[in-house]
Amino acid sequence: MSVQGIDFSRLSLLDALDLAILIEAEAQERYEEFAHQMTIHDSPGPAKFFGFMAVNEAKHGAQLAERRKTLFSGAPCAVTRGMLWDVEAPEYDEARAFMTAHEAMRIALRCEEKAHAFFVEALPRITDPGVRQLFTELCAEEIEHENLVKAEIAKLPPEPALADDDFADDPNAQ
Amino acid sequence: MDATPQMLHGHDPREYKSELKPIWCPGCGDFGVLSALYRALASIGRPPHEVALVSGIGCSSRIPGYTTAYGFNSVHGRALPIAQGIKLANPDLLVLAAGGDGDGFSIGGGHVPHVIRRNVDITYIVMDNQVYGLTKGQLSPTAALGTHTVTSPEGSIEAPVNPLLYVLGYGAHFVAQGTPGDMPGLTAILEEAIRFPGFSFVNVQSPCVTFGAPEQQLKAHKEGLRKLSAIDYDPTHRMKAMALAQTYGKELWTGVFYRDPNPPPTYDALVRERQRHLAAGALPRERILDLFVKH
Repeated sequence: MSVQGIDFSRLSLLDALDLAILIEAEAQERYEEFAHQMTIHDSPGPAKFFGFMAVNEAKHGAQLAERRKTLFSGAPCAVTRGMLWDVEAPEYDEARAFMTAHEAMRIALRCEEKAHAFFVEALPRITDPGVRQLFTELCAEEIEHENLVKAEIAKLPPEPALADDDFADDPNAQ
Repeated sequence: MDATPQMLHGHDPREYKSELKPIWCPGCGDFGVLSALYRALASIGRPPHEVALVSGIGCSSRIPGYTTAYGFNSVHGRALPIAQGIKLANPDLLVLAAGGDGDGFSIGGGHVPHVIRRNVDITYIVMDNQVYGLTKGQLSPTAALGTHTVTSPEGSIEAPVNPLLYVLGYGAHFVAQGTPGDMPGLTAILEEAIRFPGFSFVNVQSPCVTFGAPEQQLKAHKEGLRKLSAIDYDPTHRMKAMALAQTYGKELWTGVFYRDPNPPPTYDALVRERQRHLAAGALPRERILDLFVKH
């Protein structure tokens, strides 16, 4: 996780909203990529879950975008994708072939936790009251998302002692 | 739904992302390289129709298809000759070549010295995974001594090619190394390489998640990588860079190893100059055969 070129002490509400929107967009995109990877690697359970996460991230991004539109109309965005890396998105090496649904959900849980940690760490540096309120809300929402993922994990049958990939052929034999 | 607001500066990395989705193995290092490349191109700001990406054959050589730039997934080991041809034919294009370590340093190894000595203004990105992954795990030229593969079941007895030393030895004017284990660092390296006026080489340690050893995976990179930007390193000395390049395969240093402070003119610029010089006395196209007729 990395954010570059952003001075939180001088962050405006417009920039904060754009940062939050881009964080959600990056996570949405990565979950879509993971869902596709799982689909083509014959792992429908994780694929479905990553798809579910992508939809949730999109929904959250759209809510933030609506708020931005109400407050700032079509003001251009000064925050760029190059300023943030994997704030809420899972890192590429988290995915692997033949992963279980449990593993997929644990990835998502770690991502919600790291996003929460990001906003918690940023808060003390925020000076703008509007940004402070936004980040406080986002902190709370990340906790909600953590609980959402935990609820999904709880719906799963107990994890088998042997993972699916224990039954996969050696790569050279495939 | 796209909730992203209109960018104030530059381009959105997604402009460079094609509809074709990568079919690499989940966890492959190449996903990170592709993502870093999107962001580097967006930061540079050249639109996709002004960029050409040429590759050879291999897992990593699928990369042109995943971008909206002009792409050419060519013949094994031949990315560099084709990229040079494109650059000479249309010098206004931003030309990149990409491929794996086998493509670049075995099958296509003979092309590397020539693109370097000519100094054609292209950036060559090698996704070095020390194995032929697409063909299911044979020994590649950068694999370490003792590496076990399907073609070296008792362990390799061949000394590996050191790609960094190779290109430095032939006189490359920009040489860097990165890893998807440090995405911001890799993006910055790619951007700097592309902006460099002349041939630039980036070796990306991009692990093969299926056939690579555990100690070569991104988790190990994240734990073990050492950034040149964190030490007092001056990248303007070729001999120092060559000394540092000796650590290849033992330590993972990332950053710019060498950047020529006074790069020579590029081949494409010299060709243009020569064309301008000769233009006045040039025969019209319909009389070109007169050159070969004795009068």
